[in-house]
Amino acid sequence: MSGLFGTLSTALSGLSVSQQEMETTSNNVANANTPGYTREVSEIAAGDPIELGSLSFGTGVVLEKIESLRDVMLQIQINQGTQQNSSLNASLTELQQIQTQFASSNSGIGADISNFFNSLQQLSPDPSNLTLRQSVLTAADTLATDFNTVAQSLQTQSGNIDQSVVQSVSQVNSLTSQIASVDQQISDLQSVNQSPGTLIDQQNNLIQQLSRLIDVQVIPTGQGITLATSNGTTLVSGSLSFALTTQASGGVQHIFAGSQNITSSLTGGSLAGLIQVRDQEIPSISSSLDQLAAGLATNLNAANAQGFDLNGNQGGNIFAPPPAGGVGAAATLTVSMTDPSLIAASSDGTSGSNGNLANLSAVADTALANGQTPINAYSNLVGQVGSATSNTSADASASNMILQQLQDQNGSVSGVSLNEEASNLIQFQNAYQAAARVVSAVNLLLLDAVNLGMDQAEQ
Amino acid sequence: MRVNPNPMPDLLAALNQTELEEQQAELQISTGKSVNEPSDNPGAAALLVENHDQATFTSGYLQSISAVQGQLSTASSTLSSITTAMQQVISLGVEGANGTLSASDQAAIVVQLQGIQSQLVSLANTTYQGNYVFAGTKTNTAPFVVDGASPSGVDYVGNTDVNEVSIGSGYKLAVNVPGSQLFSAPGNDVFLAVNNLIQALQTNTGIGTAVNAVSAASSYLSAQTVFYGNATDQTQSETTYLNAAQLQIAQQQNTLGGVDMATAASDLTQAQTDSQAALAAIGKLSQNNLFDYLT
Repeated sequence: MSGLFGTLSTALSGLSVSQQEMETTSNNVANANTPGYTREVSEIAAGDPIELGSLSFGTGVVLEKIESLRDVMLQIQINQGTQQNSSLNASLTELQQIQTQFASSNSGIGADISNFFNSLQQLSPDPSNLTLRQSVLTAADTLATDFNTVAQSLQTQSGNIDQSVVQSVSQVNSLTSQIASVDQQISDLQSVNQSPGTLIDQQNNLIQQLSRLIDVQVIPTGQGITLATSNGTTLVSGSLSFALTTQASGGVQHIFAGSQNITSSLTGGSLAGLIQVRDQEIPSISSSLDQLAAGLATNLNAANAQGFDLNGNQGGNIFAPPPAGGVGAAATLTVSMTDPSLIAASSDGTSGSNGNLANLSAVADTALANGQTPINAYSNLVGQVGSATSNTSADASASNMILQQLQDQNGSVSGVSLNEEASNLIQFQNAYQAAARVVSAVNLLLLDAVNLGMDQAEQ
Repeated sequence: MRVNPNPMPDLLAALNQTELEEQQAELQISTGKSVNEPSDNPGAAALLVENHDQATFTSGYLQSISAVQGQLSTASSTLSSITTAMQQVISLGVEGANGTLSASDQAAIVVQLQGIQSQLVSLANTTYQGNYVFAGTKTNTAPFVVDGASPSGVDYVGNTDVNEVSIGSGYKLAVNVPGSQLFSAPGNDVFLAVNNLIQALQTNTGIGTAVNAVSAASSYLSAQTVFYGNATDQTQSETTYLNAAQLQIAQQQNTLGGVDMATAASDLTQAQTDSQAALAAIGKLSQNNLFDYLT
């Protein structure tokens, strides 16, 4: 038996543990809205008992540790979900911007093609009419200008994406260096056996921010964490971070890890989405437009050369010949013919013949390099742009929902519930009051014991 | 099971979604279109491009047809005038063949015929909007030129080419007959027949034969006139067809990209209700917790 002092010490352990528990509760309440904060719980246990003969006496309570409640698997899933979601959302934003160029069926390149061929049709009953001839050139000009506008806006967008890529890479570098420095603090604390709970929260939060930009996997090691992209490029190893660099190549910014070009191997995060649009979608649309513009210009020039103009001379070019291979044809398409009398409507050299207009009109039904007529090629392009946007939009919605669910699950594990904390507070407060009552009882008993001695002495 | 103590992100996502649906429905109602950007319905967006192409061409063909019809009707009415003039030539010829006429009467008939002859040349040189109708494709010069040295009194300086105009998809219509075929066909040369009749009257020999030749040439010319009647008929039936097609194309466009207002309005109401429900949920989100009851 340990006597009154033993009882006092047991009660004191209750006081101190209750106080520490209340501190944990207080910290949880204070951080209820802190992003990435994981609720903490105090783990307490009964103190080692003292054996006296056949009797065993408890020695109070001890606080074993304060633990952050987190589900590591769930956090890995959230990081992956975030990477996929950010990639899709970044693509979607860009694609939605692209598709505005293809939004209307009553204007734009498609309508321009129809209008151009219709202007040839209108010339056919009266082939020497200069007003009608001028309409053909005007329609050709509108067509060329719209090709230029769309091609240039695609180029501008690609340039804007390039800037976003550079900014994102610098954000990645800033985040990886923060993660590495937090990792250093964590291992410092661990080396003196202290709990790094909130630092780990902070690190996880940074990793989640990083996941919005780039695909990273967390590889736990003996010494801190290692972060690597899915193709194996190390970004953080313990307290060291490795910066990525950007370098212009082929007109766009490429991302390098050391000397290795990792641009095309990124699979998640907004960078992957941006690069996918910049390096796949935009070039594919641009190339379809180039093919269409070059095909139309070449075929119409060839058809015009088969006939004779109003002066009886062999037809010349309507459009400036497109660049060889067609690359850049849409951006540079120009009508080189300025004199409407040079349209070679005639097939026999007389001004009244419309025989060659049939050859010019036939270009509308002539398959281009991809096997489609001009209007079909454009219509397919509209469908292609629409599908890419609509598919990405559907994928992004699905991924939003998945991420939302994962975050809900994570919240149910790690989120701070104020009701829970309040009920804990009641519990801890009562425990503290009870322990205080014990202390006060022991105090009275001790007083009695002391007074008893005094009384005897007086007697 | 422990629930997520912070439902706010879920509610905000729901609110965002309903607001998006609201905007979508409002856009459909304000534009009257269900396909406002290609991603709304990629297949329909692609078809709408082709639909607009068809619509452009259909109205284009109709426009060409009215241009062609003007040309055809000018040619056709010119030919009737020529046919009338030829009837006059024949009656004058028959009158001249009557042996009882005095020399001065005969001479008067010749003068009259010469007048008709130059009228015929002028009719054969008819223009429509500045283009010579019977010149083949050489429409910028008068096809018939008076030439005293020529047996027929005129030379044909047009060509024998024919213009075709598309009046439908893959439907080409020849829109002219060269003047050489109409008026200078070997054996049925209108000008030669008239010139020969004048000479016969002047020499008073072979008038009957000459009148017969004029009569034959006139019948031949009447037969040729049928071409213009046929062509006009074809443009008329094609106009009927194109008008029907235009209606169908407009209907197709509406099916592809139009908005069913009733559905769109009910979508909008639904989205507004959803949005209000989400707002109410956020507003009423348990503003109390256990701490409020601690004393």
